Amino acid sequence: MTDAPFQLSARGIRKGFGGVEVLHGVDLDATGGSVLALLGENGAGKSTLVKIIAGDYQPDDGRLTIAGQERTSLTPPQARDLGIRMIFQELADAPTLTVAENISLGRWPTRRGLVSWRAVKRRAAEVVEQLGVDLDLDAPVGSLSVGERQIVEIARALSDRARCLVLDEPTAALSSQEAERLFTFVRRLRDQGVALIYITHRLDEVREISDRVVVLRDGNVALEAESGSVSREQMVSAMVGRSLGEVSRPADVHQPPVDATPALRFDGAALAGEFDEVALDVHGGEVVALYGKLGSGIAEVAECAFGVRRLSAGRMELAGKAVSFRQPWDAIAAGVGFLPADRQREGAFMVRSVAENLAAPSWGPLSRRGFLTADREATAYRRWHKELNIRSRDDPRQLLATLSGGNQQKVLLGRWLERQSKVLVLVEPTRGVDVGARQEIYRAIRALAASGVAVLVATSDYEEVVQLADRALVMGRGRVVAQLADHEITTQRLTQEVGG
Amino acid sequence: MMSAEGATEAGRQVPPAATEPGPGPGRAPLLARIPDIAPLVVLLLALGIFFSIKSPFFLNYDNFLNVLTAAAIAGIIAAPATLLLVAGQFDLSVGSALTFCGVLMAYVSDKHGLAAGIVAAILGGLLIGAINGTLVTVVGVNPLITTLGTLAAFVGLARVIADGQTLPVNGFAGLGTSRPLFNIPLPVIVFLVVVGVFYVVMRYTVFGRAMYAIGANPVAARLAGLRTGRLLFISFLLSGTFVALAALINVSQLSAASTNAGNGLELSVITAVVLGGASLAGGRGTIIGTLFGLLVIAVLNNGLTLLSVNSFWQDVARGTLLILAVSFDQLRLRFAVDT
Repeated sequence: MTDAPFQLSARGIRKGFGGVEVLHGVDLDATGGSVLALLGENGAGKSTLVKIIAGDYQPDDGRLTIAGQERTSLTPPQARDLGIRMIFQELADAPTLTVAENISLGRWPTRRGLVSWRAVKRRAAEVVEQLGVDLDLDAPVGSLSVGERQIVEIARALSDRARCLVLDEPTAALSSQEAERLFTFVRRLRDQGVALIYITHRLDEVREISDRVVVLRDGNVALEAESGSVSREQMVSAMVGRSLGEVSRPADVHQPPVDATPALRFDGAALAGEFDEVALDVHGGEVVALYGKLGSGIAEVAECAFGVRRLSAGRMELAGKAVSFRQPWDAIAAGVGFLPADRQREGAFMVRSVAENLAAPSWGPLSRRGFLTADREATAYRRWHKELNIRSRDDPRQLLATLSGGNQQKVLLGRWLERQSKVLVLVEPTRGVDVGARQEIYRAIRALAASGVAVLVATSDYEEVVQLADRALVMGRGRVVAQLADHEITTQRLTQEVGG
Repeated sequence: MMSAEGATEAGRQVPPAATEPGPGPGRAPLLARIPDIAPLVVLLLALGIFFSIKSPFFLNYDNFLNVLTAAAIAGIIAAPATLLLVAGQFDLSVGSALTFCGVLMAYVSDKHGLAAGIVAAILGGLLIGAINGTLVTVVGVNPLITTLGTLAAFVGLARVIADGQTLPVNGFAGLGTSRPLFNIPLPVIVFLVVVGVFYVVMRYTVFGRAMYAIGANPVAARLAGLRTGRLLFISFLLSGTFVALAALINVSQLSAASTNAGNGLELSVITAVVLGGASLAGGRGTIIGTLFGLLVIAVLNNGLTLLSVNSFWQDVARGTLLILAVSFDQLRLRFAVDT
């Protein structure tokens, strides 16, 4: 670390994509020896801003002053040279290499053209010592916990002359114990003169870790304050802002349950390492939301309901009967449908036709003695094409990849309509879907519920909960932390419950 | 409400053109609109015209039958290989399995009669298919490595059984050499029937359709309720069975089982399938494409032989074709899916 404190100032940063401006003249300061918390909802402009600082994007307007050098834009190598490093949520390490190798990854010290393993070990030992961590330098990184791997990445940045470190939601996937440990390192780095920019959703972390806080909303700075002098409520309203009133519950959301016996029920359910003591029930005719952040266990609960994973303890019931699905086809046969979070990787057959995509789970019922004609598939597709308002050419053979994200999602939803599933488990049903299609998907889900289907929506988008759910369960770190009924479901309540 | 910004922020927003209902086929990119099979047909015609001009022996019925006969063995194996590649799987062990089944047939029929020999060959094919299938679907080994291993092991085993010799098989020439219809050799008829059966299987059965789905996205296939492991296992069994059938024809044609019978056969098969438009990425490919791929290779070999080109050049041509076909597949994928 050098003597003059590191100083990064961004002034009047503007940035647009395809004619839509997402940053409207933002100021930001990061100083060596202090932690800046950067808050904001999805789409507020946080990641655009830090990508500009890291040189990944060039601003349309504004200027950056970093360590005394004034620039209008940066390239990634220039940002590196100025000591700026980013640690992303997704780990970017090489799991099969050792801790020491990872710390020097990509810039291994050499002697006469050969890698000097002594120097690799020495450098790693130095930086680990500096961080005050206890890490086995010879252990492969893949054998460490997520928290430890994050620390290895921080060590790597540090050994590479990092003077400004951007941490993007580092605690999202950590246990509370690991998060505590991470805070210790963040403080230690701060004391060593590093400037830290700490992006988070968790309000309670702001006070614990940061000196100053900046809240972005819709591409503007909505709040800038000393962390010690700002209340939780101030931060929430700065984040949610005027949108608080905009997300209203549609009048027709609430449907009284039709059956006394829940269509889907979990009791004392647990999956080792993911969630514990989860109890929930979903009746035919209602939409129940399972709301929580990444790593809270919502996706895992949903996967257990569909047989992708198996409960390690507890009970699962379908219409009053205990079930234990070994594989998804058991769940499908029992009348459960599923929409995975990652449409591209887990849901779609991109290079196949829309009709095939929609009909795949129903091939059995649609076929006669194992034989299936394209006609029957096309008929199945046309049945739901109108109903779901899928915007495509009127051609069942059109490739799924040629549809927009929202329409692809409608096709995948159509699968379970055709299959006549009684219970639908939807994970992040509108992730990556544009606004218009989002409303249509909500309408389709509500219409399904109205027809008697039980819908469980696992989502990390609170607006989705507000617009869709009859009841909501909030999960945090593998447990249900709150249950909200109809009128209690507001953006403010959800944001507060999940932050706690 | 913030979602539009969210999408833009990530810089991934779909251009508006793609979200609107395409009014007609005019919107699909050019390269993706060409029927999969068109370049092959052009290539086949070009080869046909070239060889017809160069050699007086090329363009006649008997030579046409020669081409088909030469394609029959690889063709019978290429049908299940197409099914496998469509599901994103490979079977490199087919050449070695053909040798093994042939030797097994000769060895057993010498001791217990022809019928026992035929049964042994088919059981041998099923055994290899079961081993490949188990390793790939149960143990989870990469199919390339699995079948590379069985390739090495079974050709070795065949040589152990035959003691490195060529084993004669007498009284079994009918399957390979008889010409029951229009002077067409029986192997050609078997070949065309197999292609026909696989055409129906891949187009009109749940099993065949499931293979496309598995190849397009194995995770999504499982989540759509397809029993991916079981289906792939059956496909490997099919591959083994049809290899055994091809081995019987081969033995019958030569009245002997050679320990070199299947050498390099896997290259011909994979080349034909890939040339026929089956994507190495899985999810795409047709049996008709494979049929044309087989014909291109057979015509090329036949023509080069008629022109008295050194047979080593045929290997060069086949290898080059494979590389061209795979490169073309990559370019298509880039144009078809990225837009």
